[in-house]
Amino acid sequence: MVVFGASGDLTARKIFPALYALAVRRLLPETFGVVGVARTEQTTRQFAAQMRAAVKQYARDPFDDAVWGELATGLRYVATDFADDEGQDEVVAALQELDEKRGTSGNRVYYLAVPPAAFETIVNELGQRRDRTTGWTRLIVEKPFGHDRVSARTLNETILRCFVENEVFRIDHYLGKETVQNMLALRFANGIFEPIWNRQFIDHVQITVAETMGVEGRAAFYEQAGAIRDIFQNHLLQLVALTAMEPPIDFTADSVRNEKVKVLRSLHTPGPKSVVRGQYGAGLVEGEEVPGYREEPGVDPESETESFVSAKLYVDNWRWADTPFYVRAGKRLARRETTIAIQFQRAPHPPFAEIAGDGLRPNVLLIHVQPDEGVSLAIGAKVPGQGMSIRTVHMDFLYGGAFRTGLPEAYERLILDAMLGDATLFTRADEVDEQWALVDTIVAAWRRDRPVFPNYAAGTWGPPSAGELIQRDGRSWRRH
Amino acid sequence: MDTTLAAVERALSEQREAGVQRTSVMTHLVWAPPDWLKAAERTLAGLSERHPSRTVLLTPAPRRKDGIDAVVDVRRFRVKGSSRSIASEVVKLTLKGKRAKAPGSIAMPLLITDLPVFCRWRGEPAWDSAELDQLVTVVERLVVDSSEWKGLPGSYERLGELFDRVAVSDIAWTRTESWRARVAALWPGLRRAELLEVTGPLPDALLLAGWLRSRLRRKVELMHRTGRTVRRVVVDGTEVEPPSGPAPSPSDLLSQQLDVFGRDPIYEAAVSAAG
Repeated sequence: MVVFGASGDLTARKIFPALYALAVRRLLPETFGVVGVARTEQTTRQFAAQMRAAVKQYARDPFDDAVWGELATGLRYVATDFADDEGQDEVVAALQELDEKRGTSGNRVYYLAVPPAAFETIVNELGQRRDRTTGWTRLIVEKPFGHDRVSARTLNETILRCFVENEVFRIDHYLGKETVQNMLALRFANGIFEPIWNRQFIDHVQITVAETMGVEGRAAFYEQAGAIRDIFQNHLLQLVALTAMEPPIDFTADSVRNEKVKVLRSLHTPGPKSVVRGQYGAGLVEGEEVPGYREEPGVDPESETESFVSAKLYVDNWRWADTPFYVRAGKRLARRETTIAIQFQRAPHPPFAEIAGDGLRPNVLLIHVQPDEGVSLAIGAKVPGQGMSIRTVHMDFLYGGAFRTGLPEAYERLILDAMLGDATLFTRADEVDEQWALVDTIVAAWRRDRPVFPNYAAGTWGPPSAGELIQRDGRSWRRH
Repeated sequence: MDTTLAAVERALSEQREAGVQRTSVMTHLVWAPPDWLKAAERTLAGLSERHPSRTVLLTPAPRRKDGIDAVVDVRRFRVKGSSRSIASEVVKLTLKGKRAKAPGSIAMPLLITDLPVFCRWRGEPAWDSAELDQLVTVVERLVVDSSEWKGLPGSYERLGELFDRVAVSDIAWTRTESWRARVAALWPGLRRAELLEVTGPLPDALLLAGWLRSRLRRKVELMHRTGRTVRRVVVDGTEVEPPSGPAPSPSDLLSQQLDVFGRDPIYEAAVSAAG
């Protein structure tokens, strides 16, 4: 594996801890090696020491010298500028050395853990130098994949000049999360849900991707991206696609992605009033006073970048016509939470309506992506005792309580799948294209007016207009 | 020791046992200043089995250095007549320094998604405080015990100001329930009641009087004699027969309140007429 951007945060926090977890479970090939490539001047020994410390800090398993020793034997580091021919020659030399010494047989995983601006240079370099005669090749590309539809298409064209689509693995790490994959298991491995998974029985769907963090040192990126490109365009729309997709004929990459892309193609927002943007001001998060977005280091004091977006979306097909999908994503919200809530229609004639009062609400199937990973079904139940008092309770399936194995990190699953050539949990070029098409429409409408920011306090659930967006339809966001 | 809410979430997840179900009914917040902590813990000990849920005990410590101390405990209870167990999660948080003024934003990440939130406020609420304001915003029901207050009857007016913001229960009110049933049994003679004599705690007496005034829509004078529990009630010279059976425990009383949803207009009217 060649990691471009090896001195970066992603490599230390995610990639190496994931490789270590795979090594602990003996899921890496015995002939595995890693070449770290970055501009930072350092030796292989120094790089190895840094990654050792990162694994100790971020890995989910206790540190084992023997496991690390094995992984570190195949570690190399090349300090170079990505556009530098000599440096790229050194990368090729390091790979050839690994082929000879460790028998890696010309199999390559190139991991682009670099800012988007560097993608093109690296892809072109790789394209010129790749050896098509031996082994297989995978190219893992981190998000963001482009800045809009045009730039994403240009990037795709660049990549596809040097690689074929089934060699390209566009990471959306949400798809590597167990609970996101469980959505597929829940829907398609259980007979009870699919018959009611449609407009006849489902009143609406709510998807929340809420963070309590601010920009945390990513101001330069976030100022350009905002919530719509950072979360909405990828994670959020992928969650919508998984929730709304038709059953695939099998679980192969193309079957699953064919169904997802149909959903993405049929998505629309009913109009500009159905999309709300926000930016946080100062407030309280987890008991701590935090500054507003415009006071964050590296942020323009008059920034108009949105840190919150919510929207009403429709999926124009037979299954979902007229069933709204309310989605929201943002930073510095009241709690860290990613959930998909399927709210079913109310009982047509509830004989207990008067008795139950506020205690009885419609059935909701909640998929907790994080935290409290699992699934809950809210049902009305009689309170034990005299009379007929009814309240809503949850039937829970919690991963922590049902399976004793810890949940793997998303990157473990995704890196392994990429090595195995399974692209099911990666986004295909046409999916990315459709995601950008929707985002471009929203952003174009935003250009017509100037937002009044900040419009929500840190530690709340976003601007009041987000509440109005759903209240106009006689509904409300889920509590908490 | 000082910790983060993410670490609390992780600890909860790690302590869950395979095959032991967390029954999710509600999140129960308890605001317990240090003087009330022991009493709150005693009540909780008798409560969890009946209301398996997540309890978050918040204790303010404003004079300590900023931070949060946490103790996480997943308690297991055997289901009667079955080999199965259920779990109830208890998180004890000490909110230090400035954190003591921000309980709402600290409790929020620990609420069980989409379930009702009840808050038992121990002692007399600090009426104009940020703490009360924040917690009232987060919860569906505020449970107080006005017999823990010193500012009666004036504090009932302050309590009444919250009625449009949050549903309120009062354990002192629940304690008077059996007496109210006995007094109501005096109907129709009760219709022209003018004087209520109560020997018992002041809040119980005030609430009984407020209830009678608001139900009868007439002035009823209260003559109060202090007592530890309500021992004697007389309406216009007619002795009310005392309720039979043992008095419910603090856990029973709280448990009863945690089954109630929505506003209680009869209680609210009694509070308004109690002063």
